[in-house]
Amino acid sequence: MEIKRRDFLKILGVSGVTAAVSGCSSETSRTLIPYLIPENEVVPGQATWYATVCRECPAGCGILAKTMEGRAVKVEGNPDHPVNQGRLCARGQASLQGLYNPDRIRQPLRRGADGNLQPVSWDEAERILAGRISELKGQGDRLAFITPVMAGSLDRLIDLWLKSVGGGKRLRYEPLSYESLREANRIAFGVQEIPVYNLQNANFILSFGADFLETWLSPVEYARHFALRRAYRAGSMGRSVYVGPRISLTGANSDEWIPVQPGNESFLALGMVNAILAEGLAEGLPAPELKGLQDIVAPHTPEAVAKQVGISADKIRVLARAFVKKHPSVALADAKSSNATDICVAVNLLNYVAGNVGATVRFGAEAAMAQVSSYGSFQKHLREIEQGAISILFVAGVNPLFNLPEGKRLRERLGKIPFVVSFSSFPDETTESAQLVLPENTFFESWGDYEPWTGIRGLQQPVMEPLYDTRALGDILLLLSTRLQNNEKLPWKNFYFYLRDQWKELYRRIKPDVDFETFWTESVRRGGNFQSVATKSVQLNPEVFKKSFQPPVFAGAGDGFALIPYPTLAFYDGRMANRPWLQELPDPVSQIVWENWLEIHPSDAEKLGIKKNDLLQIQSPAGEIKLPARISKNVRPGIVAIPVGQGHSAFGRYAQGRGASPMSLLSAEPEADSGALIWYGTRVAVRQTGLKHMLASTSGNDRSHDRGIVQTISLAALQSGIEKKEHPHLLRMYAEHHHDKHRWGMVIDLNACVGCSACVVACSAENNIPIMGKEEVAYGREMSWIRIQRYDEGTDERPDHHFIPMLCQNCDNAPCEPVCPVYATYHNPEGLNAQVYNRCVGTRYCSNNCPYKVRRFNWHTAQWPEPLNLQLNPNVTVREMGVMEKCTFCVQRIRGAELAAKEENRDLRDGEIVPACSQTCPTRAIVFGDLHDPESEVAKLAKNPRGYHVLEHLNTQPAITYLKKIKAGPVEG
Amino acid sequence: MAQLTYHQVDSDILRAMQAPGWRYYTLLSIDLIVVAWGIFAWRYTVQHGLGVWGLTHPVMWAMDITNFVFWVGIAHSGTLISAILYLFRVRWRASIYRTAEAVTVFALFTAGLFPIIHLGRPWVFHWLLPYSQFGGLWVNFRSPLVWDVFAVMTYMIISVLFFFTGLVPDMAVVRNRTSGWRQKIYAFMAQGWQGTDRQWRHYKAAYVFLAALATPLVISVHSVVSWDFAQSVVAGWHSTIFAPYFVAGAIHSGLAMVITLLIPLRRIYRLDAYITQQHLENLAKLIILTGLIVGYAYAVETYIAWYSNNVPEWQRFTYQVTGEYAIPFWIMILFNSLVPLLFFVKRIRTSTPWLFAIAILINIGMWMERFVIIVTGLAHEYDPYSWGVFIPTWVDISITLGAFAWFFLWFLLFIKFLPVISIVEVKEELPPPTRSQNGEE
Repeated sequence: MEIKRRDFLKILGVSGVTAAVSGCSSETSRTLIPYLIPENEVVPGQATWYATVCRECPAGCGILAKTMEGRAVKVEGNPDHPVNQGRLCARGQASLQGLYNPDRIRQPLRRGADGNLQPVSWDEAERILAGRISELKGQGDRLAFITPVMAGSLDRLIDLWLKSVGGGKRLRYEPLSYESLREANRIAFGVQEIPVYNLQNANFILSFGADFLETWLSPVEYARHFALRRAYRAGSMGRSVYVGPRISLTGANSDEWIPVQPGNESFLALGMVNAILAEGLAEGLPAPELKGLQDIVAPHTPEAVAKQVGISADKIRVLARAFVKKHPSVALADAKSSNATDICVAVNLLNYVAGNVGATVRFGAEAAMAQVSSYGSFQKHLREIEQGAISILFVAGVNPLFNLPEGKRLRERLGKIPFVVSFSSFPDETTESAQLVLPENTFFESWGDYEPWTGIRGLQQPVMEPLYDTRALGDILLLLSTRLQNNEKLPWKNFYFYLRDQWKELYRRIKPDVDFETFWTESVRRGGNFQSVATKSVQLNPEVFKKSFQPPVFAGAGDGFALIPYPTLAFYDGRMANRPWLQELPDPVSQIVWENWLEIHPSDAEKLGIKKNDLLQIQSPAGEIKLPARISKNVRPGIVAIPVGQGHSAFGRYAQGRGASPMSLLSAEPEADSGALIWYGTRVAVRQTGLKHMLASTSGNDRSHDRGIVQTISLAALQSGIEKKEHPHLLRMYAEHHHDKHRWGMVIDLNACVGCSACVVACSAENNIPIMGKEEVAYGREMSWIRIQRYDEGTDERPDHHFIPMLCQNCDNAPCEPVCPVYATYHNPEGLNAQVYNRCVGTRYCSNNCPYKVRRFNWHTAQWPEPLNLQLNPNVTVREMGVMEKCTFCVQRIRGAELAAKEENRDLRDGEIVPACSQTCPTRAIVFGDLHDPESEVAKLAKNPRGYHVLEHLNTQPAITYLKKIKAGPVEG
Repeated sequence: MAQLTYHQVDSDILRAMQAPGWRYYTLLSIDLIVVAWGIFAWRYTVQHGLGVWGLTHPVMWAMDITNFVFWVGIAHSGTLISAILYLFRVRWRASIYRTAEAVTVFALFTAGLFPIIHLGRPWVFHWLLPYSQFGGLWVNFRSPLVWDVFAVMTYMIISVLFFFTGLVPDMAVVRNRTSGWRQKIYAFMAQGWQGTDRQWRHYKAAYVFLAALATPLVISVHSVVSWDFAQSVVAGWHSTIFAPYFVAGAIHSGLAMVITLLIPLRRIYRLDAYITQQHLENLAKLIILTGLIVGYAYAVETYIAWYSNNVPEWQRFTYQVTGEYAIPFWIMILFNSLVPLLFFVKRIRTSTPWLFAIAILINIGMWMERFVIIVTGLAHEYDPYSWGVFIPTWVDISITLGAFAWFFLWFLLFIKFLPVISIVEVKEELPPPTRSQNGEE
């Protein structure tokens, strides 16, 4: 979405106004639209866009929030932000359901005498807290403050504040952290950092368990990189191989999956290094380095590794050769076993010998994630708690009681702290055990900044007034400081002024050619200040030559299954589980909604007599949980995998009591080298309970049964040249349609689509699509207008997942149109299958006659518990029960752009109309436009020889052309 | 019937119209309760939305449309017996056509409810009617659902006219035997019938005319109903055999329903002299014919599914015979095309218990046929990702039972308010009364 001149002026205006407003945020009226004093930027019916930063995960993507009548109704990626370049993932799209979550904490709470949390005024809450802090009498180190990685002004303010109360322990906690990667970089290169990965330049991506399309570091960015490099250009395309115990979405999108036992990845990488050195493929290594490397990898010959890992030596050599020959390539590691640092070191060496360090792996700009406090230091502090060394604990923005292993023991330990203060916006597990709850604003309601990579400083501004009696964390601390009479140390009136001061410093550092006010407003308008950072060259650290590589160690009985808990695309570490859109979003690989499951290989399931949906008892030395079985070839035998994110005991109506969290099964012992939590270090016993628990899946069948729905083409065939085959137009009963001006159409590149499902959530947000709940979805009544269909076309041995976004094809010869008795659906002059909700009587014939099954019927009148209703798009009708609904390529956006063009007395420009799905697609797989305009991108793409229509033989003549997925096959070296 | 007199005929047939006993009232009460329960289920649907039914994506039609097609089908035998057999001068129709025609009219009353009941928003059902709406918007004449509206309404109008026209002379008989307000009503229905030659001439002309008008409807109505399916792209629906297949099936089910009702009727009201074993046997013979046609249609469908080499078509067929709906499918095959073959055995088609049992089985089988066609076609369509299963809820079942009860309610009232056998036509079959015959006059 481009920012128009008018919007620019509005934003310019608002940043000043909001600055003034936020100056007294605690005193402002609670009215959402204070019309008494008309505000310049609130024009009824007109959207205003504000640039801010998505704080749902540490990737720190830029957001443009669309507000109407003073409330945010939709978020889209900020095209100026270098991380996401205008795109967002499913979680980012669902961030509004955090803002409007019906279970948000609406005012400060304190634990009363009866043990329940009761409302209390801010004044009273501050008084209580200030009293407690005064009681410390300068023993500041009895106070601990846990936050996530904040990488910005608030982070520094917290440090300052802690100092002002006499010191205090500071923990930056992230459940998905990369301590072993950071430590391995220190061991290998002497820099304790997380580098920038330039996947878009990598001809060959070899991922050792790094799920960079779902959660790893910066998924929106990497998905874009991945798709860019995999696009077929001039006879070639980027290749990718996934090594790991289970197929993730990233694995499913790779050319090849190499299943290994968790923890054996290091040996595979070392075997590859050995092969590269043995074949003399490593170029330009100084002699001492070469010698040192040869010594390290000497025991890890391909043959030795083959025996250890279960992959043929030839395969290892092929991979090694390909890895070097396809320079620049990149190897990524997300190691979570007991030898995690070993794996990361081995992968570092692999990148080093292939000459990728400095090319695709660049040190210099550091990831904010590197600032994380290690899990080991967390454990250390927990011991201190046990010894009674902590009397006050502040928890903001994280939920350690849910995310850390041994949650029960942790709760007991937290119980030993006299005073726990939570700043959470939601009633999560940690908040449930707090004595005082001072609810923070969501990021949509606060000022802030976030620097995910050095130089990329996103600026976060409030896009609307706080919905409830909540405050920004920075403001709470500053007000507290006033009460504690620490003003001389923290002289800022509120956090906004502190933030500006911080940016003044930045201004002085980078010295732009404008005055500060211009710099500031420009930064607010653009959503931040983005500087590139020079790459720093690194050498091998001599320490690495002394490194010995250990096999993985597992806790638990030796005959148990190795447990693979994995974070998911929808819930990240579990923090997104209270968003109904994400709960109802089918997991792209399993297609299951609302709950989690245990994945087990069919051969193991057969041995144990486990059937689909059998409720299983999963036991480890640390605990036990119960989950239903999903039998799947996505895990290798001997492994069971469980998605993380469900199993909340608190956290609101949408999250609570669904599934179970595998984190409680893990042992608490950190990894020796880096202090990381060992995710893959536990063996579990799996037993039948004799009960069944039905999982809800949106997939009617896993295979496409030769229907040609997802079509593929081999790379070889593409290279030898193909012609686009037009399906012959069959006779039509009625006259052809004439589209005088436009014929809207879409091209979806299946080679770019990774199945990330961002489009699905974006569509729900844009089109007021209701949430149905598990039971209804299980019965097939989900309402989403676009879905990611997953077909497994693999063999009995290996799954082969194909993803296809399925939405209304807006057929030219649409089967739905003639059957409607009342013209509720009809062909409009621009080629859309329009759906007139108010005319629909609900015969449902159109749905029966739709071969794509993309029409959705309102079985009941949908409910939006307050304040979720505030998110509804005022430009789209909310449908009542009994009517059919469907995708119309976001007709409201088409009409909006047409009106704008008419007002400006010009023709529509190509790319001006972007439906919500296409707008957010991180891989740019969906392109929309006018098929009549031969110059439009969509018209050109539709002529691509890979183009085909789904179910072409039915002569529906769809407006959507799919481009066949390219099957590159195994890599050759 | 040689031993019968006109007087005897009058009193025998009108005996059914005498004040009902406790058995009748019990039956009527039970029936009314079921109707009320069905109405409650529908009201519940209107309040909470169609989600209370077992419908789902992709099976958006199931028992609602099954009931519609089933009852339209039931409506077919009446016209066949009363109009077609009349035109062909088949004399044995005289004593059963009234009941058959009543079945037609009441089945249409029932079927006609479902296009409204099945709507997502039944409160705007009038938008389906062909009139200029919202300043010039008409219905979509391309939609088979609109054709349905025309076909069923035409059939209903003609059937009702035909029914009441045939009643006129009988109404005169009843008028002459009643008094008070009842007499006024029957007098109105008799339309001043005096039995004059001129009246007879007009009556016969009108009757032949209406019979001729109704005859093509037997073919057309169910053909149009079948096009609801045949006109679609759904594999398993999109088939040219559907029109004759549905018409044959309709007559098959209609005949079975007439037998199902005639057997208790003649037993309870001692009408054996009028509805003889011969009548029932003739109906059974007709059922052999329609059963063979239906069986042939099943065979052709199977063959085409295989011969077309069409993947979705064949997979739908294999799903139909082995999937979730295999039991209804095999019920349909067994009850509709195999069980009726027993009627080739004379002992079976002349045995009342056998006749009754087989007729009921055919009724069940034909309901299942409609269900299987509708549901399996939708459940396994082109996109395997969107395959789904329909499981009926209590509301689906209640509305279906309510519809049966509604039909029987009309029939129970019919027994008490109108002569169940055409008095006039039975008398026509008798030799004209002479003094020598009974010696009284």
